[in-house]
Amino acid sequence: MLGYLLRRVLSTIPVMALVALFVFSLLYIAPGDPAAVIAGEQASPEDVEKIRAALGLDRPFLVRFSEWSLAVLSSDLGISMFTGMPVTELIAQRIEPTLSLMVVTITLSVLLAVPIGVIAARKVDSWWDRTFMAFAVLGFSVPVFVVGYLLAYWFALELDWFPVQGYTPIAKGFWPWLQNLILPSIALGFVYIALIARITRATMLEVLSQDYVRTARAKGVAEGPILYLHALKNAAVPIVTVIGIGVALLIGGAVVTESVFAIPGLGRLTIDAIVRRDYPMIQGIVLMFSFVYVLVNLAVDLVYVVLDPRIRY
Amino acid sequence: MNTPASMHDRAAQPRTAFPAAPALGDVLPPMRVRTGVAGFAYRYPTMAIGLVLLALMLLIAIFAPYLGTVDPTALAPAKRTREPSAEFWFGSDAFGRDVYSRVLYGARVSLAVGFAVAILASLIGLLIGTVSGFVRALDGVVMRVMDGLMSIPPILLAIALMALTRASVQNVILAITIAEIPRVARLVRGVVLSLREQPYVDAAIAAGTSTPVIILRHILPNTIAPLTVQATYICGSAMIIESILSFIGAGTPPIIPSWGNIMADGRTLWQVKPYIIVFPAIFLSMTVLAVNLLGDGLRDALDPRMAKRV
Repeated sequence: MLGYLLRRVLSTIPVMALVALFVFSLLYIAPGDPAAVIAGEQASPEDVEKIRAALGLDRPFLVRFSEWSLAVLSSDLGISMFTGMPVTELIAQRIEPTLSLMVVTITLSVLLAVPIGVIAARKVDSWWDRTFMAFAVLGFSVPVFVVGYLLAYWFALELDWFPVQGYTPIAKGFWPWLQNLILPSIALGFVYIALIARITRATMLEVLSQDYVRTARAKGVAEGPILYLHALKNAAVPIVTVIGIGVALLIGGAVVTESVFAIPGLGRLTIDAIVRRDYPMIQGIVLMFSFVYVLVNLAVDLVYVVLDPRIRY
Repeated sequence: MNTPASMHDRAAQPRTAFPAAPALGDVLPPMRVRTGVAGFAYRYPTMAIGLVLLALMLLIAIFAPYLGTVDPTALAPAKRTREPSAEFWFGSDAFGRDVYSRVLYGARVSLAVGFAVAILASLIGLLIGTVSGFVRALDGVVMRVMDGLMSIPPILLAIALMALTRASVQNVILAITIAEIPRVARLVRGVVLSLREQPYVDAAIAAGTSTPVIILRHILPNTIAPLTVQATYICGSAMIIESILSFIGAGTPPIIPSWGNIMADGRTLWQVKPYIIVFPAIFLSMTVLAVNLLGDGLRDALDPRMAKRV
């Protein structure tokens, strides 16, 4: 068990190194010469060369990559070309809204999607099942910003139940914070809910046909405990896997959701960085999100051991 | 449905005497073989709905100039932000451009990106997956690279790639293709690995068949079914990613009317003029829905075992 945990943790290192290599190459082949940008338009070619040498930009790829990797390890992601501030600092300033959005979305989605999947599996081929699964197909087909505008228009502008846009820090109180996040979370979670509900239904269908479920029914266990204690527990591994994999969808979707709901988070930072072609910024954001994604899936793999003690690798 | 129930009833009756075997017509429901289009729609309703919707969108894209449209890039500042009317069927945007014409022409970009990415990613993924599945020496390296690429969320990878290049439809297609390849490669590799353990492949090897012929004749035909299903899903996801890239200003150049671009233009006005966003949104959702329904239908038809699972 300890061996499995250790091996699984160690196996993320090569993956992260590869991601770092990709992300670094991205900046390496990016058009535009950072030395020329920093030197300004008045600079002579000699000045540009001097700056290039001072920044170490004239050295070979591998040397620069290993230096950059060491800097990343001490959480130095470089300097934003546009603002002149450290990338790490800019990311730290914007992380709260995005993290809040993610946490609320995941919580809300799991709380909605798992019961939907269980009910659909319990009443398979019923109208409930068909309606839920039709919604799931819709969830895969309607882009996140469309859902976002739809929700914002109806529930914020027309009905005035929620604030239209913006973000309130959690320091100003839990309720105002949550109120601002509910619509964006539903919009962002739409496809995620569809994904989790579908896999929950599928695995529950398989588990519910097992002998031990029939035995439980035969000895008179009530339907509720059968579904949520016997069956769901054994269906948990694929469900948790999809919850982890789906985080990739959330990360991509958050960029757009924050734009629709005017949330000042990392998504807005990304869009600004793209518009300004701020490569160190883009690099830092992609690297950070990818590391988070790798770590989330590592956490999922470690949770397996708790969910299913039979797992041995 | 009928058959097992009626057989069950028969079995439940007390057996006084062995009844004569029932005529086949009593046990089985009358066979009605449906052929042609009606038969196809009856057997595969999801695929049929998807195909019809998709065909409709294709026709719209092809015949966009003949469907009462005007030049989708023609500016008319005096007629900006008009509500939908007889002149502007879907209204006009902040520059007075006709949203109806833009939405119809936008179908071209979405479908082109969707199909191109689906085909390219499938072919390249097929190549990488087959090589990886057959050449043990390369397998480890190739799959680690794919793992690394897969660890970057696809939309983010596409955004980063777009930031490197000029905005153009070709570059959008390339960026999304690169983001989608690893999933195809993994799928194909999995199929290849399980196929090469099959007895008929062993038999072919024993008979002295060369490796290229084995791949061509025994392996590739069996990857077509899962690959087709995967390609339709990629097509749908590519269309969504294209619209997201365009929406945040990192995709199709703003001058080309794509659904994402139209929505990006309507973004600042959405509270007062929601129709600029509503119409492209409906078209985009319908098209992706069509492709996804087609994919679900194909999956159920090509692999009946999978039908029950997801």
